[in-house]
Amino acid sequence: MLRLEATRQILDQAGQRPIVANLGPTSDELWHAGHRDRNFYTYGSMGLCSSIALGMALSTQEQVISLDGDGSLLMNLGTIATIGREQPKNLIVVVWDNEQWAQTGHQPSHTAFGTQLDQVARSCGIKNTAVVDDLEELRAVFGKALEQEGPWFIVAKIQETEYLEVAPVEPEFTLYRFRESFKS
Amino acid sequence: MAWAETIVQALKDWDTSLIAYVPDISIHQVTSLIDADPFFHLVSATREEEAIGIAVGSYAVGRNAAVFMQSSGFGNSVNALASLCIPARVPIPMFINLRGGPGEFNIAQVPMGRTTRSIMDLLGLVHFTLEDEYRMDTLLDGALKLCHANRQPVAICITQMLHGGKLA
Repeated sequence: MLRLEATRQILDQAGQRPIVANLGPTSDELWHAGHRDRNFYTYGSMGLCSSIALGMALSTQEQVISLDGDGSLLMNLGTIATIGREQPKNLIVVVWDNEQWAQTGHQPSHTAFGTQLDQVARSCGIKNTAVVDDLEELRAVFGKALEQEGPWFIVAKIQETEYLEVAPVEPEFTLYRFRESFKS
Repeated sequence: MAWAETIVQALKDWDTSLIAYVPDISIHQVTSLIDADPFFHLVSATREEEAIGIAVGSYAVGRNAAVFMQSSGFGNSVNALASLCIPARVPIPMFINLRGGPGEFNIAQVPMGRTTRSIMDLLGLVHFTLEDEYRMDTLLDGALKLCHANRQPVAICITQMLHGGKLA
């Protein structure tokens, strides 16, 4: 499964729900798949994508989606424990797992050597976990996550591909427009 | 403990109700009040940069947030400030128990305690240091006002001279 087509799938199912995207290609591909006010792109703070999504989930009633990555999450595994402790019903974490640090030269990550992030999540008290390998599975599991209480933790195995153009987004404007969309 | 109540009041005055923190024995004088007060949601983070990420997420959906940590943990949060809060302009008040001052007994706490404010200066971020309770309410109110006006993090460093607690 390619991340871009998987991102299109998530976006198609997400409706207007807020999405936080991990830095680099995950943010770029979210922008290319469908730029919208409720996309929160990150271009730094590696490791904090799901922490940001957790902070959102604790402060809004809406369902919040995190599009994280294996290498980034390995930098901040503690946040999985915090999600397990807080148990936000409205948080869905999707981890794009390509088993590598792709942008820095395709060095294999720890998930290529047996680290199972879904098992980490389970041992932190996140009961709803899944590992998906193709678009059909992703559609089914993500659809279930939208219907049932979370927190959800979905590991989506993806293949790396060529990168799209870097999305023309400015962090300050991203936050402003995202935040404005929550004002009634 | 009046200083701790003054901080709680300032947070309420600025409608700052999500507090993410990493425990600290002196800051516990404030966070224990926060934990007992239904106005707040106190979130225990595993690391200081995680606390900043949680606070940014809260602010992004419209709820003001603050973080509490020790100066050692400030060292763990520099990249979150530099690559998230500053470029996105996120007003996060950071309450930091500043180690390394008079009475410090632990050599390992001195370098980060002594450099925290210099790092804030290098990042172009504003910080204040509280040594006593004189006009503390005015200073806190002003610090939070500046934080939101400038839409950047502000550090409020609290010291052993203020809290009188043990340093460990």
